[in-house]
Amino acid sequence: MKEAMIGLVGLNHKTAPLAVRERLFAGCQEQANLLADLKAIDGVLEILHLSTCNRVELVASLEDAPRALGELESFLARYGGLADEEAAACLYTYRDREAIRHLFRVTSSLDSLVMGEAQILGQVKDAYRLALAQNATGVVLNRLMHRAFRAAKRVRTETGIAANPVSVSFAAVELAKKIFGTLAGRKILIIGAGEMAELTCTHLVGNGAEDITVVNRSPAQARLLAEKFHGAAVGLEALDEALCDVDIVISSTGAPTYVVTGEMVRRCLRKRKNRLLFLVDIAVPRDIDPAADEVENVYLYNIDHLQDIVDENIKNRRREALKAEAIIEEEVANYTNWLKELEAVPTIVSLRSKAEGIVRTEMEKASGWMENLENADREKVEALVHGIVNKVLHAPVAVMKEESAEFASQDIVAAARQLFRLDD
Amino acid sequence: MTSVEGILFAAALFCCSLATGGYLISLLVRRVALAKISTWILAAGFILLALNLLFAAVHWTDWSSFGSRHFLSIYAWVIAGIYLGLQLKTKTRLLGAFIAPFILLFLIAAAGQGSDRNLVPSQWQGGLTTLHLVLAIAGEALFVLASAAGAMFLIQNNLLKNKKPGPLGRLLPSLGDLDQINHFGLLWGFPLLTLGMIGGAVYAAFVWGGSWPADPKVVWSFAVWVFYGFLLHQRLAIGWKGSRMAVLSCLGLIAFLLSALGIRFCLATVHNFI
Repeated sequence: MKEAMIGLVGLNHKTAPLAVRERLFAGCQEQANLLADLKAIDGVLEILHLSTCNRVELVASLEDAPRALGELESFLARYGGLADEEAAACLYTYRDREAIRHLFRVTSSLDSLVMGEAQILGQVKDAYRLALAQNATGVVLNRLMHRAFRAAKRVRTETGIAANPVSVSFAAVELAKKIFGTLAGRKILIIGAGEMAELTCTHLVGNGAEDITVVNRSPAQARLLAEKFHGAAVGLEALDEALCDVDIVISSTGAPTYVVTGEMVRRCLRKRKNRLLFLVDIAVPRDIDPAADEVENVYLYNIDHLQDIVDENIKNRRREALKAEAIIEEEVANYTNWLKELEAVPTIVSLRSKAEGIVRTEMEKASGWMENLENADREKVEALVHGIVNKVLHAPVAVMKEESAEFASQDIVAAARQLFRLDD
Repeated sequence: MTSVEGILFAAALFCCSLATGGYLISLLVRRVALAKISTWILAAGFILLALNLLFAAVHWTDWSSFGSRHFLSIYAWVIAGIYLGLQLKTKTRLLGAFIAPFILLFLIAAAGQGSDRNLVPSQWQGGLTTLHLVLAIAGEALFVLASAAGAMFLIQNNLLKNKKPGPLGRLLPSLGDLDQINHFGLLWGFPLLTLGMIGGAVYAAFVWGGSWPADPKVVWSFAVWVFYGFLLHQRLAIGWKGSRMAVLSCLGLIAFLLSALGIRFCLATVHNFI
């Protein structure tokens, strides 16, 4: 009888430095029939290989687990070119419940660098699709992966782990939505040319904003950035005019003094007919005079304000992660129950069919004298026999099921097979 | 009032209380799902109230059966209708937490008006009076809506200005949406109220000729009308927007409600059905 056992070997951003992850990632990428090679390892029944910039993991259904897990470890060490002590420090190995929990946590983004990020689920799905296409998975892993996706979905919908932005640029986008509602058709002004300003602008455009104007001391740089967003570039002298026209301003210059003064904002408000204005100042030292915030319908956020929001959101995510862990535990228990019952199921089935076989033979033997009985009496005798057999089998079957839920069914199952001579 | 009418009214009142509670709790526990359910419950209440009014209309014999209960019910019904209509277009469910209490207030007031007193004297009964009533009620209901949006705007504005968007801010609609609702309320409320008042004035001119009694309600309604007219003018012509409009609309509503109650209980008026 094959015993399905789940094993997981891998390394991630917490256990291995970038250089090691890079090496392993490249090593695995180069290997065309990686899954086939892995599956050829003795003891590996089903296998899945997940490789992202933050982690490499092998999930497998194994028989003779300790040895097979060791093989998988040395396989990874070989492909990553890891020395023995390096492998010992970087690689982790989980079995059964721990392996299932780890996989569910990874898929639900609880183990990610940025907790709650959405990418990992897609990456796990891709890895599974690949394994499926190459026939590397079977009953055990297929169910495991579906349960992992289910856990991830539950974590996403039942907790707020992915609800609030945890990066400064996304926090700015979220605020813009709270101010304007929809961002469709909003006009953006970028002052200066920082990477962060560009990133924020990209997110805003992704949410529907259009019509980008870039102001920069250097016209060439302004044009360069403007071209990226199909926007217009204007000189610093046109700043006043541009302020009157736009909805969102992102400022990140290296200027030592305020580029946008409170007075400028106050002046333009009349021309703007009091339309709402969102000012994002991500420069240090600051570009926009804090006095601008006192103007009606103007909302000024500097880098500290945004960082505070992000910190608060990260705290929230940690709180939500506790709820997520409870969901994971529930799903892990669900899956292990299924898995363990799977272990006892073939034995229970053969035990029942053996008993039925005995009943059938004995009834045939007794058919001679039973013919003398009335129909009703014959049925009564048959019912009696079936009843006795079921009563006798009830206890061993129940015990096997119970023990299987506790991960302890191996001995009991083996004993049952021996006692009832099921393997003869 | 027939028993069927009474049951329908009670059911509507029950739905509305439930929805109001749901909205307020959704604001406290910060869950939009609860507000969505409340919106459906409110919609059920709206339909029940419509049936109640329809039933009353079918059994309409003459003006003697038109009482404060009907008047206040129509008020609640119009506000609920406008709010629900708005829900089809925007996703500002939380607005319900501010509107539903008003609807409930009007319904409770309506429930308190037990007797079907003849409030509209026989010599005034007629089509023009009905027109005057319906238009004025619809106009005022839209102002209630504009002010509720204004109140929410002020809360959201406060959160954003203090750099604390937080969970409550996430739940409240965006400033832009709220400002648009305020705009919508003023833009449609004002002409409706204007027509309603013209209807009343034309009718009064027929009944009383040139000299009207100095009815406090008439005087005050005129003041409210001028105030909202001023707001709409500033909004359309000068371009006032956002927090200033929100503050003024809220003040306008508070003054309007206080005066309505004050006139109702302290002064003699020909409009004594509210």
